[in-house]
Amino acid sequence: MTIMQQENKRKFWQMPWGYPESITITAGIAFVGFVLQITIKEFNFYLLTSPVNLIVGALIVSLCLLTLTIRKSKFLKWFTSIPFSVCLIMALLILTLIMGLTPQTGTAPADRNFFALLGFYNMTGSWPFILIYFTTLLSLGSLIVRRLAKFNIKDYGFYLNHIGLWLVLLAGGLGHADMERYIMHVREGEVEWRVYDDEGTVKELPIAIQLNDFDMEEYPPKLTIIDRTTGEPQPLSAPDYYQIDTKAPTGKLDGWVLEMNEYIHQAVRNSDSTYREMPMPGSTPAAHITMTNPSTGETLTGWVCGGNRAQLYKSLELSEKYTVVMTVAEPKRFMSDIEVYTPDGTTKSAILEVNHPLRIKGWTIYQYGYDNAAGRLSSYSSMELVYDPWIVPVYIGFVMIAIGAIAMIVRGRSSNRKTLLTDNQKEE
Amino acid sequence: MNWDTFIWFALPAMILWACAGIVVYRKKSKVLADILMITGISIYTLFIIGFWINIERPPLRTMGETRLWYSFFLAVIGYVTYRRWKYPWLLSFSALVASVFICINLFKPEIHSKNLMPALQSIWFIPHVTSYILSYAMFGAATVGAFVQLRKINRKGLSDKKIFDFLDNLVYVGFGFLVLGMLMGCVWAKEAWGHYWSWDPKETWAFVTSMAYLAYIHLRLQGKKYEKTALWLLPVALILLLITWIGVNYLPSAQGSIHVY
Repeated sequence: MTIMQQENKRKFWQMPWGYPESITITAGIAFVGFVLQITIKEFNFYLLTSPVNLIVGALIVSLCLLTLTIRKSKFLKWFTSIPFSVCLIMALLILTLIMGLTPQTGTAPADRNFFALLGFYNMTGSWPFILIYFTTLLSLGSLIVRRLAKFNIKDYGFYLNHIGLWLVLLAGGLGHADMERYIMHVREGEVEWRVYDDEGTVKELPIAIQLNDFDMEEYPPKLTIIDRTTGEPQPLSAPDYYQIDTKAPTGKLDGWVLEMNEYIHQAVRNSDSTYREMPMPGSTPAAHITMTNPSTGETLTGWVCGGNRAQLYKSLELSEKYTVVMTVAEPKRFMSDIEVYTPDGTTKSAILEVNHPLRIKGWTIYQYGYDNAAGRLSSYSSMELVYDPWIVPVYIGFVMIAIGAIAMIVRGRSSNRKTLLTDNQKEE
Repeated sequence: MNWDTFIWFALPAMILWACAGIVVYRKKSKVLADILMITGISIYTLFIIGFWINIERPPLRTMGETRLWYSFFLAVIGYVTYRRWKYPWLLSFSALVASVFICINLFKPEIHSKNLMPALQSIWFIPHVTSYILSYAMFGAATVGAFVQLRKINRKGLSDKKIFDFLDNLVYVGFGFLVLGMLMGCVWAKEAWGHYWSWDPKETWAFVTSMAYLAYIHLRLQGKKYEKTALWLLPVALILLLITWIGVNYLPSAQGSIHVY
């Protein structure tokens, strides 16, 4: 309403353009995108694989620089204006909002419905998204060039935020096509160089990894009462769990009072069904507990153990129907002792762990997984190898935006208000 | 200290904050409001410290734990911004909202696990979540400010410049924290999962939210022209933010998200 009223003085499509034209043009771009999506199907991002993305990137930079020659034109002023920026921001908002509401499965569920036709199930690969993305790059890039042409150090917040964002958008988007991600499974004591891509195709890499040892630390598990026939934790509506904690050795399980007398994190079973501490790969957590039923006064004492591939589990039977069991321990840390070789003779060794990747020759190696069923006894370790050559400009962008964000926090809006407003008024 | 003892800290804190939120309207009781508010915050802080020590990890994992911090920062930031801008409603409101989140924790506690999965064991974890919660508190306050301003415009036909200065500053500061939170999340994701941005549902919604505040910031650069549009954008943005924070877990599109807890 307000937008329309204020634009009334000027005729539609009469320069200088404002919101009506910006909205129309943004919607038009999105519309063209949807038409393309329906007719020629989704945009294949991997067309942008190097060197195409370098050429496209150079083209975008040149186009933005070329706008210097038409710096005074009303069209460029509109193209880099706030109304058009707001419309592009809103377009991105709406497209990503749809994306946030639609499962991004790539393909539609079973039937090919209308939303699938519009590319909603693979938003970032759909033409409307791609076109709005490139328009944003051009608009933002031209704005940066225009503002840099009359450089003013007082605008440092503007430069940091806008150039940083532009770098991230450009390098993140175009660089995506050059990114390679593979999974490698290495057996303990063996060397491996074959990897799988996300479609399961085998590929050989110029990197070999030797797994010396895989190890895992676990959290103390939980105890719960289960139905011996169904295996369901009790009570059914909201199962009780006692988290083993030597500092809090009592708990309540389905009406029973639990008292933990002893806990051994790495235990092995003695011949007489008791447990002793023995740190080794096949050891398992074991707890000695006393269960008391307050209503009947019944008391039962015994060992409970989770078990693994090397040892049987042990439960404490409360009745014919119910028994106390130990849950599978959750992993605390898992790590691979590896050595990495490249063809030129570079060797690196490391303990690979989640959140602690290894970088070698442009590749980053991540701890990815292990044999979940075997847990600590896993005989192999899975690693993810990522090649991301465009990461440097993205991180430069991150640093710029971060400094810009700190400037926003410290200064608020007050101090940069004047320059921006006068700049704006000049335009209008 | 654990969730069982929470009530013995939460209740006194809430009562003190409520008193502060009431006496702050009396001109003579400003100092008393200060004392009440600070005492309440201190008691609440004491619980967080004790709780942190007890569970042997930063309490930033479960929804209940993030609510614990949200209440804390709402009370602290509400108080600090009240001292800076002298709006008594700001103190009352932040005290009220902080109490609401405490009550959720009291009446609807969730399963609080002590175990932190390996991916969450990162130096980026605390700054990432804290930065977000700070921005949420700012945006929450800005939304209330937006309604106050809208009422002013409807009544007098004119906006209050002081409120707009306050609103814009809140959004700038909140946006700064939001961006920092996102960037730290990106760097962390690169270390843990191999990519800084994967369009995970939570990431998608965070992007949507940031676009809404970005639109506000740009609309406000055009002076008086689009005041009302900008103001209405704030409650809309807050709804998007709440979906990002709480709603995502319930969306069908978010099955398999790495951010579900």
